[in-house]
Amino acid sequence: MKQIIIIGNSAAGIAAVESIRNKDSDCRITVISDEDYTAYCRCVLSYYLAGDVGEDRLVYRGQDFYKNNNVDLILGKKVVRVDPKKNQIVLEDKQKLDYDTLVIATGSSAKLPELKGIQKRGVFGLRTVKDVKEILGLLPVAKTACVLGGGLIGLKAGYALKKRGIDIKIIVKSKQILSQVLDKTAADIIQGHLGANGLEILTGLDAAELLGNGELKAVKLDSGKVIGTEIVIIGKGVAPNIGLIKDTAVKAGEGIIVDKFLKTSVENIYACGDCAQTYDFVLEKYQVNALWPNAVEQGCLAGRNICQENSEYLGSIGMNSVEFFGLPVVSMGIAREEAGMEVLSRLDANNKIYKKVILKDNCLKGVILLNRIENSGIYLELIRHKADISSVKNELLNDTFNYAKIMDLLGKDETIYLSSAGGTHV
Amino acid sequence: MKRLYYDIEKCMACKTCEIACCVGHSLSKDIMKAIFEEPLSLPRIKVKEKGQKPHPMSCRHCDEPRCVMACMTGCLSKDKKTSLVLIDKNRCVGCWMCVMVCPYAAIRPDQKTKIPVRCDMCKDLDMPQCVKSCPTQAIIWCEEEELAKK
Ligand SMILES: Cc1cc2nc3c(=O)[nH]c(=O)nc-3n(C[C@H](O)[C@H](O)[C@H](O)COP(=O)(O)OP(=O)(O)OC[C@H]3O[C@@H](n4cnc5c(N)ncnc54)[C@H](O)[C@@H]3O)c2cc1C
Repeated sequence: MKQIIIIGNSAAGIAAVESIRNKDSDCRITVISDEDYTAYCRCVLSYYLAGDVGEDRLVYRGQDFYKNNNVDLILGKKVVRVDPKKNQIVLEDKQKLDYDTLVIATGSSAKLPELKGIQKRGVFGLRTVKDVKEILGLLPVAKTACVLGGGLIGLKAGYALKKRGIDIKIIVKSKQILSQVLDKTAADIIQGHLGANGLEILTGLDAAELLGNGELKAVKLDSGKVIGTEIVIIGKGVAPNIGLIKDTAVKAGEGIIVDKFLKTSVENIYACGDCAQTYDFVLEKYQVNALWPNAVEQGCLAGRNICQENSEYLGSIGMNSVEFFGLPVVSMGIAREEAGMEVLSRLDANNKIYKKVILKDNCLKGVILLNRIENSGIYLELIRHKADISSVKNELLNDTFNYAKIMDLLGKDETIYLSSAGGTHV
Repeated sequence: MKRLYYDIEKCMACKTCEIACCVGHSLSKDIMKAIFEEPLSLPRIKVKEKGQKPHPMSCRHCDEPRCVMACMTGCLSKDKKTSLVLIDKNRCVGCWMCVMVCPYAAIRPDQKTKIPVRCDMCKDLDMPQCVKSCPTQAIIWCEEEELAKK
């Protein structure tokens, strides 16, 4: 019987299991994770840290999922090596497992900068249940926490600990927060909003050293200033977990490189999710887009293709939706225009409303929607279809912009609108 | 599965469907009481305009729903039996990922409840309230195969 091994028990791995089982109830599926939990909602960790939800709300798939899908689940064991020549993987306890098809869905880890003192107790990434439990354990003795990095994870960490009544300082190297996903206009509005809600954000500064005797006591900034703190959370981006394919025929750049069928450079090995470097259909190059929806879609397609379906992946995209203290923002594609691009924007600073689209040759390349996110999916659809928007350009930023206005631009059949005068697609 | 179709020639943008939808999803199911409910019941269907032509919009319960794929809490699922996209409201955290990826912008954020507003086909009632209420029969609820006969 065909044996499929899936390394990784999260967004991508679970999606792969589900799509394989949709087609094939016979093959053997083994899922391996180096964590001790059944699949959980990694993105909900910051809500758990904040106390907004209890631990029970982290469950993504429970024990019954593995039973119902006839999956052998191996938890708490790390895969240290893949041996494509022998079609084998090696676990940390030296155990070897044979596969016919392998799915690598190992995700990513918090990137830790080279920083003096980073190994001190009290310094964390925010990536796993274990991280959160350890941070929660320190809360009773903590008054202040510093977050290094003004990206999504850094701000979510800051928000969470603020809700726990801890004084927060977010230290951001660049001149603005969320520099990977927003332009300065949007970022400044959000920064003001976070500030008004008690998050202190220091931009243009970086940590130079973490001080303390084994246990963290303070952060020393590059300006020389020293901030006393019991907790440091590092939010400096993620690095794909690809150590296990080092020196093998599985090709990798920043992540494992996959083709449009999610296949790696080795015939019977697929990769998906945060560990994979996929074609980004906005940037038009191979990129790690470490995001939940990308991971699920990739896992799903990898699973189908393992079952001989030949489903092509359009590609990944950078897209984010977050809300801080009641202020929602969505961004997709590129955030800052480049030479030869056109920008349309509308700003209502008093109401913290900002909309911006970036166009190239009348095709959407990037969108920022602050405090008016209702129609965001339409913009994603325009980006996905590389639709020529000339005919709706003057309406693009209106709040009344809607699907009916774009359906003729997408080049696909519209089925739900009929006309008693005859025919569909009105 | 039975889906909603809209006859654009018959729709007059009277928005009776929107009101029927609100009432149908209110606690009291009574329009005079529903308007005082907190949080207010919001319409799952919205009549949008394209030029002069009204186009009602609501969740299509897609065959391969992007919202389900994007849902980071697992609170959205595509029900194998009914083919409906279901939401487990207890597990939703209001991240609006479903709003971000819906190709039809048929899911809206409700800032009061922090739970997205979307059509549930009135699955607990005998038929969708929008269909029942439409004074011009512009909303058709049927299987795809029956559509040709309409
Ligand atoms: C706090 C937080 C908030 C987030 N918020 C958002 C958000 O709002 N929107 C969004 O799109 N994304 C968000 N993300 C990112 C999102 O969680 C990831 O993109 C997603 O989890 C990727 O899924 P994955 O399956 O590729 O990998 P992961 O979720 O990283 O899972 C990897 C799996 O592989 C296992 N594994 C790894 N290496 C090995 C090994 N050598 N041996 C055995 N097992 C191994 C791990 O145990 C785990 O089961 C957030 C992440 C965090 C941490």
